Amino acid sequence: MTYTNEQIGALVEPARLHRSIYTDPEIFELEMERIWGSAWIFIGHESQVPNPGDYYTLNITHKIPVVMVRDRQGEVHVLHNRCAHKGAKLVDTRCGNARAFRCCYHGWTFNTDGSLLKIPNEGGYEGTGFDIKDPANNMQKVAQYEIYRGFVFATLDADAPDLKTWMGGAIDCFDNLCDRAPEGEVEVAGGVLRYEHDCNWKMFLENLNDTMHPMVTHQSVVQAAEDYIATLPEDAVDQRAEAEIIPPFGASYEVFEDSGITGFEFGHHYDGGKTSIHADYTVIPAYGKAMVDAYGEERTKEIFSFNTHNTLYYPSLTIKTAIQNIRVVRPIAVDKCIVETWSFRLKGAPDEMLQRTLLYSRLINSSASMVGPDDLEAYMRIQAGNADTSSNWIEMYRQFGKDQELEDRTVGGGTSDLDMRTQYGAWRNYMTGAYRQGEAA
Amino acid sequence: MTDIRKIEEFLYDEAALLDNPDLDRWMELFTEDGTYWMPVAEDQADPINHVSIFYDDRVMMEVRRRNYVHPRAASKDHHTRCSHVIGNVRTSGTNDHGDLVVTSNQHVLVYYRHEQRVFGTRVEHHLLPDGDSYRIRHKKVTLINCEAPQKSLTVYL
Repeated sequence: MTYTNEQIGALVEPARLHRSIYTDPEIFELEMERIWGSAWIFIGHESQVPNPGDYYTLNITHKIPVVMVRDRQGEVHVLHNRCAHKGAKLVDTRCGNARAFRCCYHGWTFNTDGSLLKIPNEGGYEGTGFDIKDPANNMQKVAQYEIYRGFVFATLDADAPDLKTWMGGAIDCFDNLCDRAPEGEVEVAGGVLRYEHDCNWKMFLENLNDTMHPMVTHQSVVQAAEDYIATLPEDAVDQRAEAEIIPPFGASYEVFEDSGITGFEFGHHYDGGKTSIHADYTVIPAYGKAMVDAYGEERTKEIFSFNTHNTLYYPSLTIKTAIQNIRVVRPIAVDKCIVETWSFRLKGAPDEMLQRTLLYSRLINSSASMVGPDDLEAYMRIQAGNADTSSNWIEMYRQFGKDQELEDRTVGGGTSDLDMRTQYGAWRNYMTGAYRQGEAA
Repeated sequence: MTDIRKIEEFLYDEAALLDNPDLDRWMELFTEDGTYWMPVAEDQADPINHVSIFYDDRVMMEVRRRNYVHPRAASKDHHTRCSHVIGNVRTSGTNDHGDLVVTSNQHVLVYYRHEQRVFGTRVEHHLLPDGDSYRIRHKKVTLINCEAPQKSLTVYL
């Protein structure tokens, strides 16, 4: 079928979702065009391309290839990865360094700012009306790209609001992540994990601040860790410390309820604030000292007291400020996506901080971890179960009607479905064109 | 010269404990400071300053073997069966710990969740001679596609 905007809007009610948003390939294609083609998408961090000519490639939607590159003047660009001649993808390696991008087919060559440098045997174009200086012959710049504290975002939509406006109050979490570095900056470090998910991309996002699942989905690993800890003699301090990373994943409903959820326009939201399940990680003394030296006691305390668990910048990026890792979802098809986990070094902090971040990424987010696979199992079962037609609806009623509307944000209970209602409100506005027409609900 | 046949027998016995996973007995093959490592990058220098797919010491092996058989681990509702084929077994002498360094190529078929997957691996064992046999101080499994996106991996390879 071909959906009208009314029909699309009817798939998302204030507290119910139609199952076809997870299963219909046509809806998926519309999402790629209207959400992923319109929102600010996380591209990478500028520390991935520190030197002139450094580049990193990815798809900004399920299939539009782009390249993030630092040009000879040191400026970072996000360019369409397409030769202006025959349309070939210019760069097909993940990352590297190039003096120029040379097409493998006829040798058209482009500068690292995207401008056309050279066409071989150029004389054949003389007097034909073809203008080598026409900007249409450059690698095209993505409609808008911006960098906030090193994080590079781009949007295919020339009319999208600027990045800061789009982030709204959720920008606080980016600031908190970077402020946790004594030098106020972070950089990518220690590689990336890529985890293939046989499920719709939205299920991963829904899980981030779904605080009703950990004590069920992760019960086994929490019990396994607790059973093991119980066997340890008093003096097994190191073993105990290592195994104790896991039990917070089985935190109680009460703990999660108290952490609260905060939602923003454009679908962003976080859980936590005053506290989160990450609040109790001990501060390594050398790190604490570096922070106090850089910021003073009071400001350091303020930075550490803003404790969020996951912050979603809808639709592509989720960050953990207290852990210093991020996850990025890259949609592939209606029932397939890749989840990337990147870790960050806090500049000016001791190496142990990065090592802790990497330990967390591995233990929780790896495809071989004891946490991620149980989450993915649930998503795959949602994907399979929603092929069934006995009911078309999925509910998101928890604490519905109790959300508190503040000036620039909505706040609610930590176990509420406010996170769901927030992201699906944005889904509806993007998909029906309401944002574009200034009619966002 | 080291008896290569004896080493091969040890590798076959170890693989048998992973083919029909028996993590309780498999873990007993490791020394108290034993580790299992699956890097995520080719030529990855270490498992501490870079993220890995697996890097388990005895503590995480203890948690993992309990989790593996826990009735509420939904990802384990689907049984995993593997078939290891081991070849190209070579030794390159002993390392600084006095452990025997053994490399092999292992092709592992994994059946899990209605699907059969193929893993091409390069494996390195650091083996501590122990009576007639060995104990494993370190096992490193490098997937030939280690940097590619991976689906859930519920057992050690």
